[in-house]
Amino acid sequence: MSEVDTARPESAYRPAEGYFDELFAADGSPRPHARALAAALDELGPSQLVDAGRRRDTIFVQQGITFDTTGEDGPSVERPFPLDLVPRILPASEWTHIKRGLAQRIRALNRFVDDVYHSREIVRAGVIPWRLVVSRSHFARAAHGIRPPGGVYCHVAGCDLVRDVDGSWKVLEDNVRTPSGISYVLENRVAMTRLLPGLFNKYRVRPVDHYPQLLLAALRSVAPAAEGEATVVVWTPGVLNSAYFEHAFLARQMGVELVEASDLVVRDDVVYMRTTDGLQRVHAIYRRLDDDFIDPLEFRPDSVLGVPGLMRAYRAGTVALTNAVGTGVADDKAIYHYVPQMIRFYLNEEPLLDNVKTYLMSDPDLMQAALKRMDELVFKPTGESGGKGVFIGPATDPTTLAGLGDVIRRSPDKWIAQELVRLSTMPTADGGGRLVPRHVDLRPFAVFGETISIVPGGLSRVAMIEGSMIVNSSRGGGSKDTWVLEDGEDRSDDTAPARPESLPPALPDLRYGAWTGQQQQQQQQCSPA
Amino acid sequence: MLARIAQELFWLGRNLARAEHTARLLEGVFQADLQGRPEGQASATTLSWESLMHIMGGRRDREVSDGRDAVLDALTHDPDNPASVVACVTRAREGASAVRDVISAEMWEAINTTHLRLHGDDFVPRDHTGHYDIYQHVRERSALFWGLTGRTMLRDEASAFLLAGGRIEAGDMVLRMLRVALPDLPDGNQADAQALALLQAVGGFQAYRRAVPAPAHAKPVARFLLFERNYPDSVAAAVDAVNESLRTADSHPRASEPILRLSRLSADLEFRRSAETDADLRVTCHEVQRELGRVDADIAQRYFGGARAA
Repeated sequence: MSEVDTARPESAYRPAEGYFDELFAADGSPRPHARALAAALDELGPSQLVDAGRRRDTIFVQQGITFDTTGEDGPSVERPFPLDLVPRILPASEWTHIKRGLAQRIRALNRFVDDVYHSREIVRAGVIPWRLVVSRSHFARAAHGIRPPGGVYCHVAGCDLVRDVDGSWKVLEDNVRTPSGISYVLENRVAMTRLLPGLFNKYRVRPVDHYPQLLLAALRSVAPAAEGEATVVVWTPGVLNSAYFEHAFLARQMGVELVEASDLVVRDDVVYMRTTDGLQRVHAIYRRLDDDFIDPLEFRPDSVLGVPGLMRAYRAGTVALTNAVGTGVADDKAIYHYVPQMIRFYLNEEPLLDNVKTYLMSDPDLMQAALKRMDELVFKPTGESGGKGVFIGPATDPTTLAGLGDVIRRSPDKWIAQELVRLSTMPTADGGGRLVPRHVDLRPFAVFGETISIVPGGLSRVAMIEGSMIVNSSRGGGSKDTWVLEDGEDRSDDTAPARPESLPPALPDLRYGAWTGQQQQQQQQCSPA
Repeated sequence: MLARIAQELFWLGRNLARAEHTARLLEGVFQADLQGRPEGQASATTLSWESLMHIMGGRRDREVSDGRDAVLDALTHDPDNPASVVACVTRAREGASAVRDVISAEMWEAINTTHLRLHGDDFVPRDHTGHYDIYQHVRERSALFWGLTGRTMLRDEASAFLLAGGRIEAGDMVLRMLRVALPDLPDGNQADAQALALLQAVGGFQAYRRAVPAPAHAKPVARFLLFERNYPDSVAAAVDAVNESLRTADSHPRASEPILRLSRLSADLEFRRSAETDADLRVTCHEVQRELGRVDADIAQRYFGGARAA
């Protein structure tokens, strides 16, 4: 398409060299599914994009769609959730592949959690050492022997995916404790339809707004109550939590109460909430706290966010918790290394989605090899999430790396090293509305109720700083709307009715008041009676 | 009070309510239309644009194609289409002029400003924003007007007619939407998606979530919008509100045809609420709408000196 090349203006988007760009091929021409979008963006131009960005910020601030960020020196600042207006587009076939891979992975993780707290088959088979499992910071002894309804533990899962330079998808990390971000997915979509509805004209994008219904159905399905009688609540640590917006959002969308610890009480191994009408029984809790804080009688005794006696009720089966207690053992980064083997062991299948090549520092040989290549690898503490404590070798100065080496040598069990993935990039609007490449990842959200349902797309997180690969919102990352296209992607002409036309019933005409006043100058066109 | 003034107030309420509900409906359908089908659904998800024109009543006298943009234009800011949002606001403002001595200064100003801004340059429709700004403007200003009515207007006959007009129009609009959006109750997915779009359009989603444990499928949504008295914009609530307003206005409520009819309609809705059969819902909508039409005729007959609605 050399004609296009020479005709392209100076300001045309140039993908970053050596990385896979989601929307543009290496020669700068848009990928087939992105052509219409590229054209629309061209037409829009930088100034309109900036304009739309300002309106977006106003809307988000007004509606309180915010996220707390960790400032350089620690204190958090509430700011409007950053949404970049250029959406990511995933063709239907691509999504099918991702969906299947994720469902497979989640099933395996779920079996693992069940296994670890019961018969430990996978340990007996010698696949994973017990010492490793039991030493994970989120392994919960209290969960031993408890089996929630249907054997489902990971009701809500968010596995982070990245696309490597060859275009293949890899799982970067699993999140099966309290993955967050779905509220932003939903709000981002609403914002996009308000700010840039013209962009949707050429695509048929799968909607995402059914997530709260999925979650509610899943919660109801695990609740120990008769059909239609289950009381479900969302349990938040409180207003000061950085993801509070999401807790309130989901509670509102599902139409259930948003409770804090002080609202809940356990009597006779049953959980109740304090209402104006007395104590009302609670059957299922969507909890957004880590295990450590949920019950001071069994976990951290200093937790003021917990409900004493909750574990007793949980054991007695009178209340369901999602996610179940103890799932943290599955999203530990050292355990992540074994997930492909889990898939083979429990499901007898080959993994559809690959891991990123990972080295356990608890293995002395691997540790030696990794410490020799500190400036090439990524080092992650096993028990954290949200990008906390991650060191990207090539971007870290030698002194810090040396210090990190010491830390790792002292407690190798708590660290892993990974090969650096050359994250894919996407056109992102800079301050002046011009499109520049920035690295992105993808966090789809899955609900495991009776079946596994995955919301089309998910949160595409983008690193706002040039060259940076840290995309977490708590570290200043932004987000993008993610479009999964329906099969047969191109939107057919609006005039051709794609729907079966059922004739609407004949409605009475609208009525209009008869005017007699002389001051009425306008001639009203009244539809005849 | 003067029959003419009562009629002006009544229609002021109606026109404003019509503008607001039309704006909400268009916004909701527009939002739903932008996106495709949820996973696993065989059929399309939204009110068709042709259906929208039908909601506004009968045949079309002008050549309006069914494309989305044409319908949006026709129903949003076409001053020659009496059903358009802008035309409704204009009529409301003209009605308000006629009753400036009766409504408070703040109420007049609220309407006037609404009207003026719509005709100014603020709402040049830009392709990439659609008409969202207009809808939001109308929604907000309507809320302002009714809020001011509740705060600053004496609760007498005048306000009674104003409120009656607003509520009867609201009831009629919701019925129209129900009848068009849910023609094939209880037909599976298509009706369900339309029900959700409809619910969000009228702004009742959160209320529905809190009131009804069932998911937002066609039948429970239709029942909610018809029968739930605790939801202010339901048909049952509208009927009660009109009834109550007229009782305030009428010196002899027991002899008043519209009041008697409304009381009977209200009781009838309660009866129908307890009946379970699905097929009845369509019939219910049809019959209730017809009855509301008769109420409207009765009101004109009794209070406005027989000035019939055109």
